[in-house]
Amino acid sequence: MSSLKLSPKRITFFIPALILILVFVVYPIIATILLSFNINPIFGVNIVERPPGLENYVKIVFDKKFINPEGIKTLSFPMGAIVHNIIWIAIHLPLTLIVGILFAVFLQYVKGGSIIRSFIFLGMVIPMIVGGLLIQFSFDKDLGVVNLLLRIFGLGFLAKTWTIYPDTALFSLILGSVWLWSGFTVTMYSAGLSSLPREVIEAAIVDGADFKTILFKIIIPMLKPVTLTVVAMTILWDLKIFDIVYASTQGGPGGASTVLALLMYEYFARLGDYAMSATVATILTIIVIPVVIFWIKSIMRGEKE
Amino acid sequence: MGKAFKLRKPGLLGSPFKILVLNFVAWIVGVLWITPFIGIFMTSIRPFREVVLYGWWALSPLTFTLKNYVDALFNPMFSLGKGILSSFIIAIPSTLIPVGIAALTAYGFARFSLPVKKYLFVTILFLMAVPQQMTIIPIFFLLKNLHLLNTYLGLILVHSSWGIPWITFFLRNYFSLLPVELEEAARVDGATDFQVFRKVVLPLALPGLISASVLQFAWVWNDFFFALMLIFDPNKMVVTQMLPRLKGQYQVDWGLLSSGSIIAMLAPLLIYALFNRYYMRGFRGWAMKR
Amino acid sequence: MAKGVKIVNIWKIFPPKVIALKNINVEIKPGEFFVILGPSGSGKTTLLRIIAGLEIPTKGKIVIGNKEVVSAEDGVFVEPRDRNIGMVFQNWALYPHMTAYENIAFPLRLKKLPEDEIRRRVKKVAEALGIADLLNRKPAHMSGGQQQRVAVARALVKQPDVLLLDEPFSNLDARIRVTAREFVKEIQKKLGITTILVTHDQADAFAVGDRVMVLRRGEVQQVGIPEELYNNPANIFIANFIGDPPMNIYKLPTSHKIVESLGIPSEIGKEYGEVFIGIRPDEAVALEPTSEGHLEGKVVIVEYVGSRRYAKVDVGDGLSLRVLLECNADHGDQVKIKVYKLHVFASEGKRLTTITY
Repeated sequence: MSSLKLSPKRITFFIPALILILVFVVYPIIATILLSFNINPIFGVNIVERPPGLENYVKIVFDKKFINPEGIKTLSFPMGAIVHNIIWIAIHLPLTLIVGILFAVFLQYVKGGSIIRSFIFLGMVIPMIVGGLLIQFSFDKDLGVVNLLLRIFGLGFLAKTWTIYPDTALFSLILGSVWLWSGFTVTMYSAGLSSLPREVIEAAIVDGADFKTILFKIIIPMLKPVTLTVVAMTILWDLKIFDIVYASTQGGPGGASTVLALLMYEYFARLGDYAMSATVATILTIIVIPVVIFWIKSIMRGEKE
Repeated sequence: MGKAFKLRKPGLLGSPFKILVLNFVAWIVGVLWITPFIGIFMTSIRPFREVVLYGWWALSPLTFTLKNYVDALFNPMFSLGKGILSSFIIAIPSTLIPVGIAALTAYGFARFSLPVKKYLFVTILFLMAVPQQMTIIPIFFLLKNLHLLNTYLGLILVHSSWGIPWITFFLRNYFSLLPVELEEAARVDGATDFQVFRKVVLPLALPGLISASVLQFAWVWNDFFFALMLIFDPNKMVVTQMLPRLKGQYQVDWGLLSSGSIIAMLAPLLIYALFNRYYMRGFRGWAMKR
Repeated sequence: MAKGVKIVNIWKIFPPKVIALKNINVEIKPGEFFVILGPSGSGKTTLLRIIAGLEIPTKGKIVIGNKEVVSAEDGVFVEPRDRNIGMVFQNWALYPHMTAYENIAFPLRLKKLPEDEIRRRVKKVAEALGIADLLNRKPAHMSGGQQQRVAVARALVKQPDVLLLDEPFSNLDARIRVTAREFVKEIQKKLGITTILVTHDQADAFAVGDRVMVLRRGEVQQVGIPEELYNNPANIFIANFIGDPPMNIYKLPTSHKIVESLGIPSEIGKEYGEVFIGIRPDEAVALEPTSEGHLEGKVVIVEYVGSRRYAKVDVGDGLSLRVLLECNADHGDQVKIKVYKLHVFASEGKRLTTITY
């Protein structure tokens, strides 16, 4: 398949990509790492005027916006951006996985199930900035669906604009992000389901398995490759979340819903501390790396089979 | 019961009653799921006062107005009409350029023997996963030095470069599934590499190219972060960056924001609807290992 | 105790107009190895699936032993798991994430049998099928033949009343097929379990079947022991479908001189204007032109099949017959053909008579 020998002419196939990626992707990544250590990257002016070193990394650990020990101890928001991202993953990942597999399985039996699937998928089609606005809209005290439903079920006393209170801001955003991201998980699991060999399920029927057994002992184990990819993609998305928070709470109130990407932005645009901004970005990337390695490993394993 | 009693189809779930209940519940969930969209749409086409007083779900009084849309499109500070134009000006080249370049690169990956292919492949996967935040600061200063900050060209270059890794990954998978024999026949007929690429491979790969283009266009249109960081002139802002700026400082004018949201999501929704097959095929293709 | 299977007036219609099965009626005896043979689209797999409970008939009923497992008219439907059947699917349908042991144990686990009982039964079946040393492997690490045995083990471990096999040999290499057929036949004889096998390959049917039912486009063509189908095919379709190399079949007007030289009774000539004659290649020989024979012609081509030689002989008027070659004739030589058995079919297909010389 890939048997053609490389020649100088053939290398030209790679040159445009190489140039653009080196200039606009690879160099910036390296430069950001350097910047996080207070080292000025070559092309720029003196972006940072502090001496090179680990100073920023030390500072960040004590930055309450990054990690807030009091908040963690008292279990009250804000707890710090990195904690918020972890909470985001802890809630969002299992919820979207469950929604994904359940909806994918059950919608098969629903008339017009594919229409419902496309309803769910709409969240993935729209810009995430709009997604954030929709979430804020849905949690609005007067106009929001959530509060409307609460009132219908007689829980009207709970109604409030969930996104503006420190204790509920992050959770409402996370729930909203489940609403947005489920389109991904449902689509992935639906595709996975339709590629399962029908005969294996029929063999289980003949063997005497009921629906629950087939779902948990046959279908879900056979969908493991899909689950691995979905888990990796979801964690990456949760770590990089930015637009949704910017659109709705801007990280507030008082940093109660801030996330790493937003923190990076604040350092850059509001505080003008480019080096610290680079540090947050680098830390975010460092956290991303193990997830990517895990994902790449599962792809490679898949290619071998 | 009589003769020829219709047996229900043997299914896993069992009784037809259970399936009926499932259908009922599923559709309720389905309608609830899109309620935010319905809500934001209703808010956008009704006078905001009416929505605030009676709720967007109220069926009386029921007046429709386009005022919110007019306010959004011709907003004095952040005119979404201009925003849409800017979004197109950015998105179209930011789709054509990376798809073209990535097609070349992906073909090379699929057909040429590269010594360090596996490592390059892994590098591409890493680049796909790296957050935008990791590149933006140096890009900001780089563009500043090149006087490309706050220009369409600058943003286009950034988007194009950013798109190349994932599109290369996607197209490479696609190319490697095309039968080699056609290309070999062309070579025997005397075609050069580039001719084989242009005349044999590209036409065959058209569905894949369309999928990649559709996804990239949607992704660029939907992007917020790059635009936020690299464009400051309100006349050049893309529609996604304008939206948060339409939010009032103290009071949120949902009339304005809702129409703005609808305007902003029209293009990607239309692409999703009109190119649905390509969109979904692309979506599944790149997120799943081959 | 082996159980028989009664298939009574089974019809299957896929809306709106596809008739997959048309009034199938057959009684499978307890302990019998029954083969359903037919080309693709004949409805054979549909019939098997109806017996298994994976499809519902539009009309008719199925009785296993003396229990009615499905009846369209009376609204009876017994779930597959309650029919006590074992099924081997065409692609084995092994659970890929489980070991062979787990695959075989699965139906027993579902019946909530105690662990040691499960272990005993699985070991017993595995030993009987010669796969005891594969129990810890997953399907991906087994050959096709081994996977098939695991699939058969899984079907047998719950000691079913009926064993169903859906094209079990079509995924095997030609060399392994012969061994696999023998293996399945042996097991069946040893266990005495009523077995229904579906295949499109007549060689499979003949190798294992006690009785064979030929289906074509949803209709039963003939049911009988293999020899019966071979020697007395009910119609042209069966005559052509069964037998390798295929029977020579040609349409001739009854006035043709060949009809006379073959000695076809004149009553047939009076009733039918034209007939189809059928001669199996193994039931006619090409001899020296000086020998006695019914027909004569020129050798067009000589073929070798195993240890036998066949000659394609042109006897004129566009007829070429493939027959056994038992003289030293070569391409272009004249030969005489001596026929040992001739079938005569009416033009709608049914067999009228068979002449043995």
